[in-house]
Amino acid sequence: MPTTSTPARESQLSTALARDRLGVASVVFFVMSAAAPLTVVAGVVPTGLAVTGLTAISIAFLAVAVVLALFSVGYVAMARHIANAGAFYAYIARGIGRPFGVGAAWVALLAYNSFQLASYGGFGAIASPLFADWFGVEIQWWVFALAGWALVAVLGVRDVAVNGKVLATLLVAEIVLVVIFSFADLFTPTFAASSAPLDPSSLVGAGAGALLVMAVTGFVGFEQSVVFSEESRDPRRTVPRATYIAVALIAVLYAFSSWAMISAAGGQAVERAGTEGPELFFNLASDRIGTAALHLGHALFLTSLIAAMISFHNIIARYTFSLGREGVLPRAFGRTVPGTGAPKNGSLAQSAVGLVAILVYAIAGWDPLVKLFFYGGTTGGIGVLLLITVTSAAVIGYFARNPEGEDAWHRLGAPLLGTTLLLVVTYLALTNIDILFGVAPGSAPTWVVPLAFGVLTLAGVIWALVLHRIRPSIYAGIGMGARSVTSGFSLRDTGAEAAQ
Amino acid sequence: MATSQLPLADDLYLAAHDSARGRCLLTPTTLGLGLAAGLLAELVLWRRLEVQDTRLTVIDERPTGEPATGAVLEQMLREGQHRLVREWIAFLAIGVSTDLVERRLARAGIVQRKEKRGLLGTKVRFVPTDLSTAGWPGTRIRIAATRGELLDIPDLVLTGLVLATGLDQHVLVTLEAHERDHLFDQLRRRMPAMLQHLVGHAEAAVGDAVMARRA
Repeated sequence: MPTTSTPARESQLSTALARDRLGVASVVFFVMSAAAPLTVVAGVVPTGLAVTGLTAISIAFLAVAVVLALFSVGYVAMARHIANAGAFYAYIARGIGRPFGVGAAWVALLAYNSFQLASYGGFGAIASPLFADWFGVEIQWWVFALAGWALVAVLGVRDVAVNGKVLATLLVAEIVLVVIFSFADLFTPTFAASSAPLDPSSLVGAGAGALLVMAVTGFVGFEQSVVFSEESRDPRRTVPRATYIAVALIAVLYAFSSWAMISAAGGQAVERAGTEGPELFFNLASDRIGTAALHLGHALFLTSLIAAMISFHNIIARYTFSLGREGVLPRAFGRTVPGTGAPKNGSLAQSAVGLVAILVYAIAGWDPLVKLFFYGGTTGGIGVLLLITVTSAAVIGYFARNPEGEDAWHRLGAPLLGTTLLLVVTYLALTNIDILFGVAPGSAPTWVVPLAFGVLTLAGVIWALVLHRIRPSIYAGIGMGARSVTSGFSLRDTGAEAAQ
Repeated sequence: MATSQLPLADDLYLAAHDSARGRCLLTPTTLGLGLAAGLLAELVLWRRLEVQDTRLTVIDERPTGEPATGAVLEQMLREGQHRLVREWIAFLAIGVSTDLVERRLARAGIVQRKEKRGLLGTKVRFVPTDLSTAGWPGTRIRIAATRGELLDIPDLVLTGLVLATGLDQHVLVTLEAHERDHLFDQLRRRMPAMLQHLVGHAEAAVGDAVMARRA
């Protein structure tokens, strides 16, 4: 229904705009395809079991869902009031301050790039044994990773709408497959309903932070719902509903399938995950399901990773685009491919980063599954957790200054509760970082990852302060995305900049 | 001084199409947004509209006597409760602006309707009747920039919209750095503030469409 002030007679403009806009289902589809369910269930969960040795993952998914739902109350409310609602840094720039906004933008770029690289590693590591099995050919993991990379690089500058349809089809197939395989788990001979995955006491025990970050990693993508806050049929209902539905669906799907998987392993989940890796999900269900379904499952696992790659690539390219439009990054990043509307230079830059990372891992001979897929996913998970936590605080800050149009629950109650819980989760995550990476306390990943986020934040803050001094008009537009120009035509000469 | 021959939005439409085969160089969404801003700019040039910051004001209700802008003005008068620039750009961009401009160009005999039967039904396209006319708006801006000549107001807005839609990657790509500088200097100094705002809104609308994956 039209949402603008009700005229005496039907407004053609409102009706036409409403008809053109997205409903709840489209937004849920989009958000869930970014979450790539099969990648999480078959990839993140077994690898996480193996690396951390923790089994209480189902309860962690449910707990994180509650925290994220609380966070979303204020998040989707603020999305209605600000420009560029698709990017965390816009909230932080408006709610806390522009310098921290730029810091957050850098953190977001690292976090999403970590996910992106993780999916290249996962794709290579999983495709390589599968092809050996299917066709009897031994091909290095990085060959597959490069193939996936090339596909994403091409799709990144091609028609975006095609990507959307592909993602939606794959998503439905993935969800159906996860549900069928999980039910098959219930009928395996080794199945013994386990209470360990649902043990709430583990959420305060040792390793709780590691579990929670793994769970957060599974939900990443839910935050993208707000991209459509201005494109949705009813700004007050569509995006909030879609967000809560997506979070709930993801939570139930993940909690159930990881419980079924761990139960089906009959007390051997951690050991089996260690030896079988992502195959655990497929092996457990294979007893009850024909080989055809197994092959289909494997194929969908690969497409799920591709879907994750495409989603993260699109997110990164758009973050870069938005920063380019603002002038925080060089203006050339604000360019699109005219014929497709794809953010050209943002996409190309991401592809360059991906190529370098794959080549470095290939030459150094590092393990793609643990060192790229799991470490990358975890690094990204920590980054997104930090961003969500700071964004939650920014929501409180924003509504303290602009309370109009929202009630106390949306402005203060839920954000305050959400921020408190998120601070606890962040604290647990950072103190459990050694368990999370499965390394000795004090070893490299435990301090490199937080340090990297810290350094990027600081660099962003400093860059913002530099802009404040030398380019006040750019500083004023930080967080506004494309709309940083509406105070007057920007008249930026991107072509000349690119040529320099 | 180079002169514009066609209404502003028509010139933008031609600039947005490959002059060899009549293929559109922009996505339908971006083309719609550019043409929407083009039609609004025409109404500003007709002295029917004013743009202040984010809002439009109708300053003269008399019809323009020209069907495309006339239709937009009429609709605007019917919908007095909607006065945000971005609302109108968004509304006109949903097929309305492209349709109005295509029909106006067809009436003038500059494009013709071509039906192409494919597997999935018939596709209607508009292709330029005379390819040299079709390439003219882009050429005109380029020539003025190369010779360091001054553009008139409609052509300044056209150049602004070429930049806002990303068409400059086709239209202005051959310019030298100093020619670009000259062109940008003109846009900054000679385009009326009201029209600069309008072009800014168009640019933001194109950017927002990219962010929302609708471009």
